[in-house]
Amino acid sequence: MADSSSPREYIHLIQHLIEECILFHMSKEECMEALFKHANIKPVITATVWKELEKENKEFFQAYTKDREERASETETRQRIQKKMLSHSSAAKDTGEDD
Amino acid sequence: MLAVSPLRTTKDERQDEMESFENGGGDDFPDFSCGNLLDSIDFDDLFVGINDEDVLPDLEMDPEILAEFSLSGGEESEITTTSTSNEKMEENSAKEEVDKANYSGPDASSGSTLTQTDDMVTSKRDESVAANPSAKEADKARKSSTQSKANPQGKRKVKVDWTPELHRRFVQAVEQLGVDKAVPSRILEIMGIDCLTRHNIASHLQKYRSHRKHLLAREAEAANWTQRRQMYGGAAAPAAAGGKREMNHWIAPTMGFPPMAPMPHFRPLHVWGHPSVDQSLMPVWPKHLGPSPPPPPVTWAPAAPAHPPTPPPDPCFWHSHHARVPNSLTPGTPCFPPHLAPTRFPTPPVPGIPPPALYKVDPGIAVPTAPAGQPVPQPPIDFHPSKESIDAAIGDVLSKPWQPLPLGLKPPSVDSVLVELHRQGISRIPPTACV
Repeated sequence: MADSSSPREYIHLIQHLIEECILFHMSKEECMEALFKHANIKPVITATVWKELEKENKEFFQAYTKDREERASETETRQRIQKKMLSHSSAAKDTGEDD
Repeated sequence: MLAVSPLRTTKDERQDEMESFENGGGDDFPDFSCGNLLDSIDFDDLFVGINDEDVLPDLEMDPEILAEFSLSGGEESEITTTSTSNEKMEENSAKEEVDKANYSGPDASSGSTLTQTDDMVTSKRDESVAANPSAKEADKARKSSTQSKANPQGKRKVKVDWTPELHRRFVQAVEQLGVDKAVPSRILEIMGIDCLTRHNIASHLQKYRSHRKHLLAREAEAANWTQRRQMYGGAAAPAAAGGKREMNHWIAPTMGFPPMAPMPHFRPLHVWGHPSVDQSLMPVWPKHLGPSPPPPPVTWAPAAPAHPPTPPPDPCFWHSHHARVPNSLTPGTPCFPPHLAPTRFPTPPVPGIPPPALYKVDPGIAVPTAPAGQPVPQPPIDFHPSKESIDAAIGDVLSKPWQPLPLGLKPPSVDSVLVELHRQGISRIPPTACV
């Protein structure tokens, strides 16, 4: 991947990879990490391309961010429910123990 | 009456045509029809200028003539051939050429065929004008006599302005009767509009049928475009996610219009779409057409996979075109790459990754009920896809970089990226030292 690709191609590749990460709902940081781990791409490069992509596709990233936030809060809610259920269940198991 | 008999079914028409062509095309074709046809039909504007009264000779004329006309309702080229071959009964070579063009595939590459044919027609016409001046004059005379004959009651043929509303009623009437069975007099009855004559209706019907055939023929070709559309459509997807109007814009079926850049040259055959299809479907009207087509024919995408190559029942065809319009969830919707659900953005399309939420929660919920008293392992409700799948996806991209972008986001400016990288201390990419 050294000299064979031009900067343009390289950037295109990074964009492609970033898009794949977006399909996984990753954040920018997660994406940087993933690309570094699996494709040996310097996080700073990933970050830069991500930021530039964001500039070119503002609406998309706005929607994306919003969506992620919603999911995050959804997750949080679910976790809370989970915890409650767990605690209820253990309460049920141990009779006499009040929650 | 006159209107009824010549209007046979499509199959019959075709058969007749074939037969008559094989017979040398001369037997059933009175001179009258050919001459008038050439004179009256402006092939370049076949669907643009709605000169209803000029397209057909008056209905009061010979039913035989009309028979040929309704036959030629099939395709432009057929009309061409009919008329051309008539005029050139003597000039066999010319006829052969046109015949070849005709047979080169009315369904397959109708686009190019038409173009070709049109050019040939034009040249043929010119030739014929030069070659048979006397014939032309005779025809002209006949034409004028026709026209005067055409108004036995002294009524002038008023040019009909086929507004979308009018056309809609027309289409409704036609569908009600069945396209092949639709007869001008009945259509007129159903439409119940005084100022329309059977003649107007008949010629409009001819165009309508002709265009429908073209559309049907093109669907096959459009199937190819679907592929490309999806790729290009991907670019619109993210923007569409944010702005619904844009999404609708793409979904708006501009029927009959080829997609943007890499296009075979389509004659701007105008869209005889059902007017109720979409508000934004302005270019439906031949009159308004001409300049470059607006948004790409999203309709093709939904239409192509769903419709069999053979013409489906006529009403269905027209209905389903516009029925699909408001439905943004059509599988073939080119706005999104095929595996992306258009509703919620972004939904992981990777088959191995259903929405992580669903995945993780279920086992989580099940856990507490199982082992009693045991410390329940914290259910991994972290929504993070597995490392393996990420790795797989990334690896896939690395090994096949030529594949289309899944989202098709607008690419960043290379210069901008480079400048920014420089600022960050990266002097060149791809970096020589990979770590």
